[in-house]
Amino acid sequence: MDAIVTRNLSKVYKGLGKGHHKSLDSLSLTVAANEVFGFLGRNGAGKTTTIKMLCSLLKPTEGDALVFGESTRTRQARRLIGYLPEQPYFYEYLNPKETIAFYGKLQGLTRAERDRQWDKLSELLDLREIATQRIKGFSKGMRQRIGFAVALVGDPPLLILDEPMSGLDPIGRRMIRELILRLRDEKKTLFFSSHVLGDVEQICDRVGILVKGKLVRAGRIDALLGSAVNPVEVICTGLAVADVTRLKEQAELYRAMEELHVFRAATPEIANEMVRQILAAGGKLVEFNPLKETLEDYFMREQTQDGTVRMEGAIQ
Amino acid sequence: MRILAVAENTFRESVRDKVLYVLLFFAAVTILGSKALGWISIGQDIKIVKDISLAATSIFGVLIAIFVGTSLIYKEIDKRTLYTIISQPMHRYEFILGKYLGLMALLAVVTGVMAAVSSVYVLLLGGTLEPVYFLAVLLIYWKLMLITAVALLMSSLTSPILGAVIVFSTYVFGHATGVFKDLPPQFDGTLSKRMLEFAYYVIPNLGNFDIRMEAANDVPVNPAFIAFVLFYGLGYTVVLLILAALAFEEKDV
Ligand SMILES: Nc1ncnc2c1ncn2[C@@H]1O[C@H](COP(=O)(O)OP(=O)(O)O)[C@@H](O)[C@H]1O
Ligand SMILES: [Mg+2]
Repeated sequence: MDAIVTRNLSKVYKGLGKGHHKSLDSLSLTVAANEVFGFLGRNGAGKTTTIKMLCSLLKPTEGDALVFGESTRTRQARRLIGYLPEQPYFYEYLNPKETIAFYGKLQGLTRAERDRQWDKLSELLDLREIATQRIKGFSKGMRQRIGFAVALVGDPPLLILDEPMSGLDPIGRRMIRELILRLRDEKKTLFFSSHVLGDVEQICDRVGILVKGKLVRAGRIDALLGSAVNPVEVICTGLAVADVTRLKEQAELYRAMEELHVFRAATPEIANEMVRQILAAGGKLVEFNPLKETLEDYFMREQTQDGTVRMEGAIQ
Repeated sequence: MRILAVAENTFRESVRDKVLYVLLFFAAVTILGSKALGWISIGQDIKIVKDISLAATSIFGVLIAIFVGTSLIYKEIDKRTLYTIISQPMHRYEFILGKYLGLMALLAVVTGVMAAVSSVYVLLLGGTLEPVYFLAVLLIYWKLMLITAVALLMSSLTSPILGAVIVFSTYVFGHATGVFKDLPPQFDGTLSKRMLEFAYYVIPNLGNFDIRMEAANDVPVNPAFIAFVLFYGLGYTVVLLILAALAFEEKDV
């Protein structure tokens, strides 16, 4: 069964004036169980809005969402979700141990179960040393760890994380990344939003890209990037000036160092044609590098195109 | 269980509120200072100490109910502590009820402390305490129960400042509901009359909870009346709590 299914999920915030602008516009998305899904978009794209609807903090204006087949408006769905808000806030006068116990109580766990949760989570998130310090003076990184621990109370199969790595230092980011991978190995489903593309690229099975409230792409990262037409770098040597001039008409001469010429061809077809000409002219091919587009490049390109939803890869 | 967890936390949090101690301090000063007024009318001092103590318990209790109560839910939204709580597998009304019970526990301690201080003081001054004195304290607590429910409703609807103004108005008008009923004849048949009459029936008559005079003069009160008032207060409170829960149920946080 799919972990998350949203159908035309839309949100118009009340009190935003007459122009009923949709902060989230007809999001239809499926996240399979055991998948790590990256939800990408710039600030204000609608990531937090989506997540809040999944966690029943906001009521959808239109559409609905299911979590393992349960409507997100139900308690049963909330039992299946562990939620880490964008900036998690907890009662400042409690310490981490009391905080975990509090959320355990809210889930109706017995004392023995709560103790077990604490043992497990304090170990996983390294909370032992700060167990009895008030949250009040904690750094962003410490709060994030507590937020993660709270999300994991009750061992939910789905984790919904809102920008789990933003605002953390490199060590903090790495810790979160490793945690996500570890949870993936424990067969959990992870849905997290981000604008840190590098992290997403490393750990996600699939991504969705949100632009101004609309999902513009969703699919496997390799499929998304594969669909783009990639430039190719052709490096050669031993060419006469006339040959170089001819090649320059077909591709950009990126660099020229002594004998070495680095061309950048717009498509693999052009690059192949150039290679034939280079060899025919008695030159020598040194390197043939298909330039892999990064998610970053792709993301930037998507931002400039508007609107229509195109699904790719494994979706629906 | 879940409700109790929320209540316990609310209690712990409000106990840390400095406003509470400022108010308690003033209440104690008022109670202990009440003897000064007693000297003016010789032989009346015990009566006045009882009267002023009950008045202080009521007023400071109401101030706590308003100040803490109107920010009860708003603060959780504002500080975003609500996000990880509402997303738990619990009902939203359980949260509302837990917040309410936590504050009511605090008010029980506050009224209890004030009643204890004033009782000891009365006994030290050589006075006696009749059951009606403690009934008066109970009715004050019952009134706080109702006012806190109004505050909670406001807290899930609006900002603390506006909420406090509304609750305070309710308190003032609740002590003067007769005004809405006994209108001069020129109001007959007007829309204002019907609206004021509506207000008369909607706004709780807080005068019902006030048996200070009887307590000060050691005059017993008819148990049937006490039963009626307890029932009256409970009815209003339950309706207000249901409204607060409904207002919160669909709220975007
Ligand atoms: N409480 C709110 N009231 C009104 N508009 C909001 C509210 N929260 C978010 N928005 C608007 O909704 C849009 C999406 O915001 P958000 O979901 O927070 O984006 P993201 O998390 O991707 O940065 C933005 O245009 C934002 O201004
Ligand atoms: Mg956001």
